[in-house]
Amino acid sequence: MKRSDEEFGRQAKEAFDASVEKLDAATLSKLNRGRHAALAELKSPTRSFSRWMPAAGVAAAVLVAVVVIQTPGGVDEMPTAVTDMEILLGEDSIEMLEDLEFYSWIDTVDLEGDVG
Amino acid sequence: MDVDTAVFAVSCTGTPRTGTRALHKEQQLNRFLAEVERRALRIAEIAVRDRDEALDIVQDSMIKLVRKYSERDEEEWTPLFYRILQNAVRDWHRRQSVRNRVMVWFRKKPDEDHDYDPVAAAPDPIGRTPDEELTNSEAMLSLEAAVRRLPARQREAFMLRTFEGLDVAGTAIAMGCSQGSVKTHYSRAVHTLREQLEEYRPGSSGLVEGQS
Repeated sequence: MKRSDEEFGRQAKEAFDASVEKLDAATLSKLNRGRHAALAELKSPTRSFSRWMPAAGVAAAVLVAVVVIQTPGGVDEMPTAVTDMEILLGEDSIEMLEDLEFYSWIDTVDLEGDVG
Repeated sequence: MDVDTAVFAVSCTGTPRTGTRALHKEQQLNRFLAEVERRALRIAEIAVRDRDEALDIVQDSMIKLVRKYSERDEEEWTPLFYRILQNAVRDWHRRQSVRNRVMVWFRKKPDEDHDYDPVAAAPDPIGRTPDEELTNSEAMLSLEAAVRRLPARQREAFMLRTFEGLDVAGTAIAMGCSQGSVKTHYSRAVHTLREQLEEYRPGSSGLVEGQS
């Protein structure tokens, strides 16, 4: 680096340092408060919580996976449950509910026929 | 001394644990932040042209350093802190540019007021009165103005190297780039600043020449 550049850097640093020294008391007070707010993070309970949160998340996911896999028929029963829901929510079921009286009559007729 | 007593004694005389160690760490951080905070504020203030915004940026940077890097070695704190600070300044500029784009829709049309100049009409961001401006260091004011006109990366390199006194390696960590890039940005910044400031003050061979 050229000597003149070094001299320029030195002068710039002097001017900058002088401006730092001129900071007013109100600004210094705000900086002081900001610093103490930052240091309070060392004692913050959320800090330790956030530190362990990823590990806790993984542990929870593993626990859920183990419970689902270990439960007898836990995975197998799911399609059945889904099928039930499909039947309950399907359009045919609604039609059946609307014609409940008709199906009830058919049952009665069948029974009478069986007897007869 | 029996075996149990010996084991107990060893466990008590090892590295200071929890309470003492935490207090020591807090004192170290307090010393570091107190030492760096004023220069950091001025660096942020020059970059964003607003003292209150700069205060927020410095405080957020201090909090992030404590949260993320308090366990690192003390020697690493300076470049890490300035890396956080520079990222915060860049984020601030991004938000400002988005805000400005949005605000364009709410501004008066140019033909409604031909003489309106938003830059000229804006209040002084640092809140100086005209009298204060006159009494402030002319050298620093002209330097600040010139530094603000630099491209962002050159400005970062110049402020970190010159104002904060980081070496090339520390500046590279703070800026998240190679040491070669730091040298290039810094060299260009010094060249541009010297040109501008010597042009601004004809007949002067230096930045603060003639300043009392």
